Amino acid sequence: MKAKHGFIGWFQAQWTGNPLFSTTLALAVMVILQTLALGTDFDSFGDWWTTFYRNWIIVLRNNATVGIVSLGMAFVIISGGIDLAVGSTFVAAGALFLLLLDGGGWLAAIGLTGWPAFAAAALLCVVAGALLGGVNGVLVANGGIPPFIVTLGTMKIFRSVTQDFMQRGHNPSFPQEFADFSCLTFGGQMVMPIVYWLVVAGLLWVLSRRTVFGSHVVAVGSNERAAKLAGIQVRSVKRRVYILAGALVSFASVIQICRIGSMDYSNAGSGYEMDAIAAVIVGGTRMSGGRGSIVGTMLGVLIIGVMNNLLNLMGVPPFLREAFKGVVVVAAVLLQRKEATS
Amino acid sequence: MRIEFDQIHKSFGPTEVLHGVSLSLEGGQILALLGENGAGKSTLMNILGGLLRPDAGEVRVDGQPVQFRTPNDSIGHGIAFIHQELSPVNDLQVYENVFLGRELRRGLFLDRAAMRSQAAQLLQSLDIPIDVDSHMRDLDASSKQIVEICRALQCQARVIIMDEPTTSLAEHEIALLFTLVRNLAAQGVGIIFISHKLNEVKELCSRYAVLRNGAVVAEGEMADVTTEELSEWIVGHELAHWQPARAGQLGSEVLRVDGISRGREFRDVSFSVRAGEILGITGLLGDGRSEVFRSLFGDTPDYEGRVFLEGRPFHARNTWSAVRAGLAYVPSNRKENAIVPDLSVLFNGTLATLRAYCRCGWLCRPRQEQDFQGPARDFRVKYGRLDDLITTLSGGNQQKVILARWLTTHPRLLVLDNPTQGVDIGAKQEIYDIVRRVAAEGMAVIVLSGEGQEIVRLCSRALVMYHGTIVGELQDDELNEHEIMRYATGSKTATAHANQAGE
Repeated sequence: MKAKHGFIGWFQAQWTGNPLFSTTLALAVMVILQTLALGTDFDSFGDWWTTFYRNWIIVLRNNATVGIVSLGMAFVIISGGIDLAVGSTFVAAGALFLLLLDGGGWLAAIGLTGWPAFAAAALLCVVAGALLGGVNGVLVANGGIPPFIVTLGTMKIFRSVTQDFMQRGHNPSFPQEFADFSCLTFGGQMVMPIVYWLVVAGLLWVLSRRTVFGSHVVAVGSNERAAKLAGIQVRSVKRRVYILAGALVSFASVIQICRIGSMDYSNAGSGYEMDAIAAVIVGGTRMSGGRGSIVGTMLGVLIIGVMNNLLNLMGVPPFLREAFKGVVVVAAVLLQRKEATS
Repeated sequence: MRIEFDQIHKSFGPTEVLHGVSLSLEGGQILALLGENGAGKSTLMNILGGLLRPDAGEVRVDGQPVQFRTPNDSIGHGIAFIHQELSPVNDLQVYENVFLGRELRRGLFLDRAAMRSQAAQLLQSLDIPIDVDSHMRDLDASSKQIVEICRALQCQARVIIMDEPTTSLAEHEIALLFTLVRNLAAQGVGIIFISHKLNEVKELCSRYAVLRNGAVVAEGEMADVTTEELSEWIVGHELAHWQPARAGQLGSEVLRVDGISRGREFRDVSFSVRAGEILGITGLLGDGRSEVFRSLFGDTPDYEGRVFLEGRPFHARNTWSAVRAGLAYVPSNRKENAIVPDLSVLFNGTLATLRAYCRCGWLCRPRQEQDFQGPARDFRVKYGRLDDLITTLSGGNQQKVILARWLTTHPRLLVLDNPTQGVDIGAKQEIYDIVRRVAAEGMAVIVLSGEGQEIVRLCSRALVMYHGTIVGELQDDELNEHEIMRYATGSKTATAHANQAGE
């Protein structure tokens, strides 16, 4: 292939050289289609603009929870693992959060009320999620069991134990005065979940690109043997990756509960593991570890989110939407294959 | 069968790597394809193997122009490519591997009986004592290589490309392989043999062709040249003649190993090394030398016996504590054990010291760059940008980056396991210079190698291991390749023992 100049040359170079190029391109196409799908039935440009940005806020807000879960999943997959237990951790941590915060709940029993109680509950919830992640991490790193099997097991355990425990006592309810954590509005829009998502993404980007831990995660996922022989504490890296994923999932759980005001222990978070894996893969992360990025994962979440929104605007029946999601995942990997072969 | 390359050009992006290469091979010839890493050998062979297509020029088989689009096209023309990294399926049996991908069938089902008998016939016709029913994982490296060759023959290959087939073989296994190659050539099969070991190609091959910077700089009959002439063509300038290593000023004892054992891998191994010394440890495949140092380095820490580091008892429970204690281990099989393919040159070169550039978990990039660029400049590592992936470098440069990784830890003891594996002659020389220099600066160095020549050139004292124990110590005038082989083969039953150890 002769090197061409101008736009075509630039395009070729980006296509083969930049791992995020095809992902960005796919997102751009989705966004254009989504914008067209809004229609032209508006009185003025201002009218259109309002519809446009409101629609975008809905897209981002609806994907904030699964977006945060996907960021944790990205770290796990880059390290060469997989975490199927995110949905169950979501429920288990959420249940603990409600038990702590309920009007007659555990924190009230020790006299803690108001926003301090909320802060304590959220913190304990995240710690509990990290501990559940730690269980996965210890079994994977020290037990030497394949991560797929470990997290398949804990996925069943976490949810079933939570369900059983929660149907025994009284069902804790969420004190609505704390809903502001997620529902505080700015300019008439509920944007807090989006803000949390972006802040978490920023912190994780720094963690992946500017810290020793981030490089160690890539090393372990890319060549575990070489990482071990370079003196990297491979087991500790693996444990910490699952702990991080667990903590992020439970933070997402807090955001979700504050937004909806309740939790359905049978269904909440179910399918999160697959949605998160799909977003991570669409974002250009290699399933076997080593290659992947936070930015790519954000793009992956957005592609799937924008596509859902587009299908919604076009009136595609809800059952069919999952099929489109499937097509996007497979197509994304097909698109990325040329980078591996060239 | 006759293969001709006619004015082959090939570019990757803006850089042309083959500038009009013309070359030919007749059936029954063994052609040595020589050249440094990056000279274009692999590119040329990948074109013949159907993995790449030329930009200009043509490949002719028996005078007919051919275009190979996939490896299957080239196999269909009777050309088999045996890659440097073998791809046997270890869970299958020998005859199943021979027929892998072209299994015989009767209706819907495998015809195992036919495959087994045909494979047995093939092995017998080549005089190879391998049982077709044995499992692939139970074979040693040379037998695996031979099975791989049989697979090529089973596809009716008339030309076989062998890419550095001897790098992972011990000397007696190499002899076995050579016999097979000669038999094949006698039956009219053309062989293209890629190797860096000049003595070996001089012994085996009938013709040679030397590639340098993407062009053929010399070709002709092997009988007409000496290995010195070949190496001059390969590097493009005369190599400095080397002097056997002699001990310089030795300092205090750095490591003393006192009777350590681990299962069947090694037994009762004792030795010591002093600051400024380059100690060689050698032997045949399965001698246990790598296993000893993997244990000392904390990779397999469950050994028995005592080890003293600078006089104090020492037992690394994991690799991290070994690094902290001042040990550095450059493993063999760079690609498997040392390279992190998804990290950059810079991160590969500083992987063992990342924490040192760290303030509260935050990586201080300027310090990291500074620490890497010192050795990188010293070792003359050729790289584009620090952020390029390590896999964009040639084998020799990758190895230098790995050396830099360990020398930035400022170790007290540097262990190099097969340090010049898959490295071209020029880079090999540079790596030897680096090793001599760090030893002269007072570091204790241990070199593990199966190449007698490497030990003789580099070390002032050498231990020979055989079947997990140290059987000899050589220095001064005794330290030569002949004496090393005498110890390394142990006894007349050496082959049988080595096979046992390999199991």
